[in-house]
Amino acid sequence: MSAWAENLTQRVQVIHALILRETRTRYGKHRLGYLWAIFEPLTFIGMISGLFYLLDRRLPFGMDPLGFLTTGMLPYLLFAKSTTQAVNAVNANSGLLYFPQVKPLDLVSARVVLEFATTAVVFCVIMGGNSLHEGTLQIDDPLRLMAGFVLASALGSSVGLMFCGLCTIYPVIHQIHGPLLRPLFWISGIWFAAEELPTPVLDILSYNPVLHVVELVRSGWFPEYRGMYADPLYVADFILVFLFLGLTLERVARRRFQLS
Amino acid sequence: MITLRNVSKTYATNRGPHVVLSGVTAHIPPLTSYGILGKNGSGKSTLLRLISGIEAPDTGEVIRKGRLSWPIGFSGGFNGSLTGEENCRFIARIHGEDIDRVVGFTREFAELGDYFYNPIKTYSSGMKARFGFSVSMAIEFDVYLVDEVTAVGDRRFAQKCRTAFSQRRARSSVIMVSHNLKTIRGYADRAAVLQDGELTLFDSVDEAVRAYGD
Repeated sequence: MSAWAENLTQRVQVIHALILRETRTRYGKHRLGYLWAIFEPLTFIGMISGLFYLLDRRLPFGMDPLGFLTTGMLPYLLFAKSTTQAVNAVNANSGLLYFPQVKPLDLVSARVVLEFATTAVVFCVIMGGNSLHEGTLQIDDPLRLMAGFVLASALGSSVGLMFCGLCTIYPVIHQIHGPLLRPLFWISGIWFAAEELPTPVLDILSYNPVLHVVELVRSGWFPEYRGMYADPLYVADFILVFLFLGLTLERVARRRFQLS
Repeated sequence: MITLRNVSKTYATNRGPHVVLSGVTAHIPPLTSYGILGKNGSGKSTLLRLISGIEAPDTGEVIRKGRLSWPIGFSGGFNGSLTGEENCRFIARIHGEDIDRVVGFTREFAELGDYFYNPIKTYSSGMKARFGFSVSMAIEFDVYLVDEVTAVGDRRFAQKCRTAFSQRRARSSVIMVSHNLKTIRGYADRAAVLQDGELTLFDSVDEAVRAYGD
């Protein structure tokens, strides 16, 4: 038990140190650098929702464009960024494996946590801004919304972990994992609500776990939207399979990680 | 205390498998320093990496008791775009050490002046080695694993390192890999020879040198 607790303390210590280091190396020396990470999705969501207003895009159940896009974009971005970060985590930091207490999984975990925290900040900024504008803080089911974000992060990082392991065997994965996942940008319910679609289309698209994640977040935000196609257990199945594959590959690839 | 039990390691190369260690069994008791002799490419650095735990053996196991350092003398773990101070903080954090104490000690010991606050990529190789050596000295390890510190810098700094080590001989030991006999004699009173995948321990450096010479 004490060895277990000691190991846990060390994991927390190492991941904490890695996160601080990652913010330094990625966002530069100035605290303003991190603002860009928050600003980027904000401007994107702001611009598209402006476009939605201009085009007078009618959304079902009277959903407003800002909330609609926030609940679509943010979980998708969290998924996609967690994947990319996890895929490159070991390659980009392999020098750190020279410290015996730093394990490949720590490198992945640190980046995933950082990505989640950034998304949380962006979400709070949008939610805060929106509630100031509306005059009320409107989130129908915070737990459901939170579950959606946690699942998006877990799904992204488990997919990333799997690719990360595959990369050590087939380095070409580095180049193709991006294009491979890009179609998800169009079929995950960022631009449409699942319940807008005709049933035969939806029957096919609902195989996509990212759609479920988006629907979860969206139905957590809007009281009118039921999110009939949001099934957390379906997403969890995917996570378990990818996580299993990812951890198995990590075990196999452990000897191959290049200490550079 | 470090025990190697039937440790084997083979690398795949273009010309087929290269055996670095074949079934090495050895026991290094606490507070005994060893110099490891071996030709270039005999697998000395690999042995050090296996002992430190950053690489896993193909078969067998390595049992460690006490706190072991990372393989010192190699600057791969330092991020070039971060300053010496920032790298110090990271190392202090992952070891659960007091950050200010580690930073203070390293700054004093490494004698890098203002370079301490500049990115590591601006350091010369001698400065990098000096930095790496100083950070490791800031942390109390039971065993210091040292990989070829001939490039540690000028003679005065090398002397300073030896003095620092001899001062803590009662608490910690050194396992040093080098092909420079003089360096080994400066740190260890025992030596081992790594040859053809086999590790032989000797009770004195002289005995090891005699066997190594044959």
